[in-house]
Amino acid sequence: MVTAAAGAVALTSFMTADVSAQAFGQTQSQQGRDGGQYIPTIWVDPDGCEHWVMDDGAEGYMTPHVSRKGIPVCRRANLCGTMNSDQFFSTGSYRIHQQGKQRLAKFFQSAKATSFIITGHTDSRASDASNMRLSLKRANAVADIAVQSGAKVADVRGYGERMPVATNSTAGGMAKNRRVEIICIQ
Amino acid sequence: MTKLKIVPMLVIAAMGLAACDGGYPSDKTIDRGFVDSKDLSQLQAGIWVDPNGCDHWIIDDGLEGYLSARLDKYGRPVCSGVAEPTQTVGDFKSGSNVRDPN
Repeated sequence: MVTAAAGAVALTSFMTADVSAQAFGQTQSQQGRDGGQYIPTIWVDPDGCEHWVMDDGAEGYMTPHVSRKGIPVCRRANLCGTMNSDQFFSTGSYRIHQQGKQRLAKFFQSAKATSFIITGHTDSRASDASNMRLSLKRANAVADIAVQSGAKVADVRGYGERMPVATNSTAGGMAKNRRVEIICIQ
Repeated sequence: MTKLKIVPMLVIAAMGLAACDGGYPSDKTIDRGFVDSKDLSQLQAGIWVDPNGCDHWIIDDGLEGYLSARLDKYGRPVCSGVAEPTQTVGDFKSGSNVRDPN
């Protein structure tokens, strides 16, 4: 026990030291007027998403602004369509009825985009695994119509219940989560 | 377009001088170029398609070059197929009046 505690203390002090500037040392790069501190600004790309950008004299630096979970920070979404699954699919099914197919074909023919990204989503009933399968199958069913309509499909994904847009504790929220999103890439 | 080729050289020379008194401060949010100074939010981008076919924003802003991944709302690379791999699309050099050979 004593050894373990001592080890924990040693580990903690190691971690503290590791994040301090001294652990990295002061190289020539930190000896200018900026003291090695680089404060960025934000550039918004044509999709509406933010990037960190810095100008250091003759050099420029840029990297996407993403949350710590890896989600880009955007000021608007490029969603050009969210299909309410209930209007296109029966419960548990990934077959689109005839009228739905016609509506979708019309949409893909009129939408002006270089290509489309199609993502399927479910509510949180049923297992995660079956939701992942169903959402991908539904996204693929929509992608098939896009391709048949002459549109270019850049990617098709199923996120199951993992990317909800509303609460799954009410019927209304669950209905919102049952959807297929169509992202238009300009 | 009678922009002098020597303009970039002058800027580089001036930067050389600036470097002597300790370089730039921590605020890296503006382009201090003599002839193309601007806030960096005004940069004009095009698209560069990487060898895997995925899009990146590319900006040639006179002396500075910028490249940053194009991501969708889920954080995945956008591989739009707008052009063949290694090709560029759009007018990404128009944001600066500094001419460089490329």
